[in-house]
Amino acid sequence: MTAPDPALVPGRAPPRRNLGRLALRLRVSGVVLFLVILGIAFSILTPHFASLQNIGVIASNASILAIVAAAQAIVLLTRNLDVSVGSIMGLTAYLSADYAAHHPDVGVLLVVIALAIGAGLGAVNGLIVAYGRVSPLIATLGTMSLYRGATYVYAHGQEITSSRLPRWVLQTVDLRIGGLPLLVLVCGAVVVAAALFLRLFPFGRRIYAVGSNPLASVFYGLRTERVVLFAYTLAGLMCGFAGLLYAARVGTVTVVLASGWELTSLAGAVLGGVSVAGGSGSLIGAALGAVVLATIDNGLVLLAIPEFWRMFIQGTAIVLAVTADVLINSQIRRSLKGQRFGGKLA
Amino acid sequence: MKARLPVSSWEVTLVVAIVAAGCWSATLSPYYLSLDQILDSTRQFIIPGLLAIGLAIVVITGEIDISVASTLAVGAVLLSKFSAFGVPVWLAVPPVLVVCALLGTLNGLLVAGLGLPSLAVTLGTMGAFRGLAFIIGSEVGYTDFDDSYLYTGSDYVWGIVPVALLLFVAVALAIGFLLHRTVFGRRCFAVGNNKDAAWIAGIDVTRLKTIAYMLAGVLAGLAALVWIGQYGSARGDNADGLILFVVTAVVLAGVDINGGKGTVLGIVLALLLLGTLRNGMGLANIAGPTQTLVFGALLVAGVLRPLALRVLAEARNFVRPASSGAGKAGS
Repeated sequence: MTAPDPALVPGRAPPRRNLGRLALRLRVSGVVLFLVILGIAFSILTPHFASLQNIGVIASNASILAIVAAAQAIVLLTRNLDVSVGSIMGLTAYLSADYAAHHPDVGVLLVVIALAIGAGLGAVNGLIVAYGRVSPLIATLGTMSLYRGATYVYAHGQEITSSRLPRWVLQTVDLRIGGLPLLVLVCGAVVVAAALFLRLFPFGRRIYAVGSNPLASVFYGLRTERVVLFAYTLAGLMCGFAGLLYAARVGTVTVVLASGWELTSLAGAVLGGVSVAGGSGSLIGAALGAVVLATIDNGLVLLAIPEFWRMFIQGTAIVLAVTADVLINSQIRRSLKGQRFGGKLA
Repeated sequence: MKARLPVSSWEVTLVVAIVAAGCWSATLSPYYLSLDQILDSTRQFIIPGLLAIGLAIVVITGEIDISVASTLAVGAVLLSKFSAFGVPVWLAVPPVLVVCALLGTLNGLLVAGLGLPSLAVTLGTMGAFRGLAFIIGSEVGYTDFDDSYLYTGSDYVWGIVPVALLLFVAVALAIGFLLHRTVFGRRCFAVGNNKDAAWIAGIDVTRLKTIAYMLAGVLAGLAALVWIGQYGSARGDNADGLILFVVTAVVLAGVDINGGKGTVLGIVLALLLLGTLRNGMGLANIAGPTQTLVFGALLVAGVLRPLALRVLAEARNFVRPASSGAGKAGS
């Protein structure tokens, strides 16, 4: 990893490069470090925090958000943004729960239905953004109210109570395997699978390429529209799955399910070191960002600190994370060879 | 090729849409077409309108500010504190506006000074300011306002024109003048169109953007004053979620979300359209959620407009492939 570099970079002072390398790795380890510090601080401040049961609670709370933050990260990596994730979750959850209520024996097909709805809604976003050349913020802001409105209209103000849901749906989410909640295992598996997909498959690399330099990707011959469409569709699919899990977990599906998650997922991704300027960051980082948010929530609740301090702290943490991101970015840029115009391109 | 259509075509479209929505509303109820009803209904969009004009200044310089609704909440709870101490309103408003301006300036310094991405920064400060509003105002709403505090948001001039409407018109005229008739305004558009070129031309981009954010903060403070008059209460969660409506208005107004394009007239027209539609849908007994659906569809239609224009232009080129576009420079 370190050996062949000097030959490739003649005339560059090595210390700087190493600093950049270090910073590059810090991207994810920074979140881990933050999490550890948070953990230690809360353990000292409140005795309940470090109990196995409480950690299970944090994991359960973080797990579904982790999927959505990772989905948001995929879109962010392409230098876009999706503020409709909460509405996708809501509509998918309502439609699939309604289907399950009428067809209690759907079985695993229910997951397929949720994935299909989510992917379809994500694809609509992708089509508007990629082929319509519409600003991602505006496009998904529109579909956000569109999807939420569709949920309202379809639901006619009715909520789906847990008594109408088939028993097995509710029981499955509460399962534990070897003491670990199935929900946490499944969510972790989804995030890891998506992260591996981006790392190992060419299509995943293209997502990074499009985000770090759209123009260069076009010159290279990438069909950037397809990549963006794919990113939105994959994100929608993950949000659909998250919606189904959320519905099964809370049992009662209301029309406002997961509203506000668009901002929380963005916060998780940003805290996890995913750059809103595209092209850099990891899904694991985004998921860890979600864990950070859940940990802050949990710790402040245990400390009986009013909820609004949580907002203040979360907001400040986001600003600090973004500041750190930009500082790290400039360090990386300085350390990379032949990047004299990096500032203009990135 | 894009310049073929005059800039005001979208505004003309908006006017047509407003008239159509007005006619539709008039068919629903015989009471719709009365002056005091129409004047009174304008109060519905004054608060988002003030926020939208502030946001538009920032958007024109090529950035975004989703924290303005939280700034409004900070302003509202601060005013409630002043009221609780018995300070007269004319003495309370200036310091509140200054605080709101400072919050905006903070955004501006983070975005322009440190070069941070504005969406992420204002996402953070949106939460931080909201938290601040709760910390100042606590969870309990304050409703015991002195009457003088309610005047701007709830009273009428000559018994028919809402004071808030006059305030809004004054702000729209002032900001319209600032953006379209002054050097500062021209520089805002220049920075939004091409930041680097503007910088080379000697414009202090950092200062300009900071001022834009500061103005957005001040307008949010004014909106807080109107809010208190309209709702008679101040709480940390005031205007929570309003930002989406505000962004919708800015986009429908034809303000380019990438900066450098937009008019105050467009914003006023977009607000009139949204207000008239909401009024009409209210008359037609269309439920709030369905209204959300309609506004979402409107926003999507609004953003797909450039695409439709492009397809139209391409179709035109297809029909007349040899046209070089010369001699159209004077549009």
